[in-house]
Amino acid sequence: MRQQQQVTRRTRYIIVAIALLLLFAALVALNIGIGSVNISLGEIVSNLFSGSTNTPESDILHKVRLPRLFAGAILGGALALSGFLLQTFFNNPIAGPYVLGISSGAKLIVALVMVFVLSRGGTVSSATMIIAAFAGAMLSMGFVMLIARKVKRASVLIVSGVMIGYICSAITDFVVTFASDESIVNLHNWSQGSFSGTSWDDVGVMALVVFLASTLVFLLSKPIGAYQLGESYAQSVGVNIKAFRVALVLLSSVLCACVTAFAGPISFVGIAVPHLIKAFTKTAKPLLIIPLCFLGGAVFCLGCDLIARTAYAPVEMSVSSVSSLIGAPVVIYILAGKARK
Amino acid sequence: MNFYFKAEKLTVGYDNKPVVENIEFALQKGQVLTLIGPNGSGKSTVLKSIARQQKALGGDVYIGGEPLKRFRPRELARRVAVVLTERPKPELMTCEDVAAAGRYPYTGALGILSEADREKVRDALRTVNALDIKDRSFSEISDGQLQRVLLARAICQEPEIVVLDEPTSFLDIRYAVEILDTLRKMARERGTTVILSLHELQYARRVSDLVMCVKDGKVLCIDTPEAVFTKEVISRLYDLPEGYYEELFGL
Repeated sequence: MRQQQQVTRRTRYIIVAIALLLLFAALVALNIGIGSVNISLGEIVSNLFSGSTNTPESDILHKVRLPRLFAGAILGGALALSGFLLQTFFNNPIAGPYVLGISSGAKLIVALVMVFVLSRGGTVSSATMIIAAFAGAMLSMGFVMLIARKVKRASVLIVSGVMIGYICSAITDFVVTFASDESIVNLHNWSQGSFSGTSWDDVGVMALVVFLASTLVFLLSKPIGAYQLGESYAQSVGVNIKAFRVALVLLSSVLCACVTAFAGPISFVGIAVPHLIKAFTKTAKPLLIIPLCFLGGAVFCLGCDLIARTAYAPVEMSVSSVSSLIGAPVVIYILAGKARK
Repeated sequence: MNFYFKAEKLTVGYDNKPVVENIEFALQKGQVLTLIGPNGSGKSTVLKSIARQQKALGGDVYIGGEPLKRFRPRELARRVAVVLTERPKPELMTCEDVAAAGRYPYTGALGILSEADREKVRDALRTVNALDIKDRSFSEISDGQLQRVLLARAICQEPEIVVLDEPTSFLDIRYAVEILDTLRKMARERGTTVILSLHELQYARRVSDLVMCVKDGKVLCIDTPEAVFTKEVISRLYDLPEGYYEELFGL
């Protein structure tokens, strides 16, 4: 009986992991293969292995679809991890970078920086974007933490976060509306949430930042696990609570900032993915959950991007619209489940 | 006498406001000290400071001659374990997972349990009679079972000192007596020093080597149960009207 329990938990986990890997592979293939320009399978395969040639098909593959694919996978994983960290920090299953207004804070500061620099004819480097987004994320996070300190009720925290998000989005809209014409074109798509227009340079920067941050998150598995029994018990087994909380805030903000800098705010991935992973694997052990959250976030965002690109091709929807449509019901389901208890 | 665990001029409280002042005690390994006193007298604050869950305002606690503040978190966690009044509500954790959380100060950087760790977790669960519920979800068990599992978690830390804040509250008599017997056994067989607070005086008399009476921010007295459980001391401690003490202890 005991052995059996062990085996079933482990088997479950392996099945979920394999299913996610298969889904990931399938979505990679679909995202490369499907688009507004038809490229045959033979061309794709030969192009992928021969490297960039100067045909239009090759350009589309190498300059559009592949970077976008990488962006979707890397940033999707980052969002899911950011959500997981915030849920740990606030001890609240529906905390996430989007509902807490952290994405919107990042968006606001990035928009301000972009409008300011673009209006002077400058260009904004990806490093500047990330730093601006990080500053914005920390700003919103600061507000949310202040509120969390005053009010212990989880629902108040979420509502406050949503309101902060609205305020930041409203100011962003003002800024975008009054900005000069050419910058609007750049800003509008981005402020809705989209992986389009990613360059290889962007991919390099985001890969580096997300890889470093995610590795650190994985290395925090042990204290995150201890924290699940509450702050006092975590402290009693030797977790340095202050340092740990600072690490959670910084890492979740960096991950969210990186996503927002490159793709704008993308909703509900951070809540839906960790929840679904826990529900499927029936475990909450951080060591096991963290890698699958990343993979799950990548799958989720690649799937949403595929739908956003192809549903009304050649017109694109924002990724955020698609992710809301799938992610928001998950949040309602969690809330309903909590209410039942 | 070799006192392993001592408090000297210890003052505890919040934000520089003292709650209990000038606490002094000295315990040997394997002794049981019980804090009694009216609600709000500061027993929890004393216990939290002893376990370094909050900073002492003055004085210090010494383990084997070393002041508490000198210990690094991991070292301290290998010596002092706690059972608190708060009830954790972790999602998707079995009772075994919760008990295993006590192995934290001994596991490596990623917290992976070795076979020896697992054996210790099973031993701890066996000690508190909770081995049969080890695969049950922690959020679905009764108060009595919950307290057993939290004690198992503390035992997994292999501490020299266990600090428990009202471990018998909400428990029916069977679970309460069982928890206290387990503590007595730990004290006797493993030489664990036990410091706890209790509301039920009959339990305090049964389990303690020493009893500390806390009232109005002061330690009224610290003595053997025989000396403390007298009409004078208890009536003064709880402001009992004439005649209540006899009724309470069936004299």
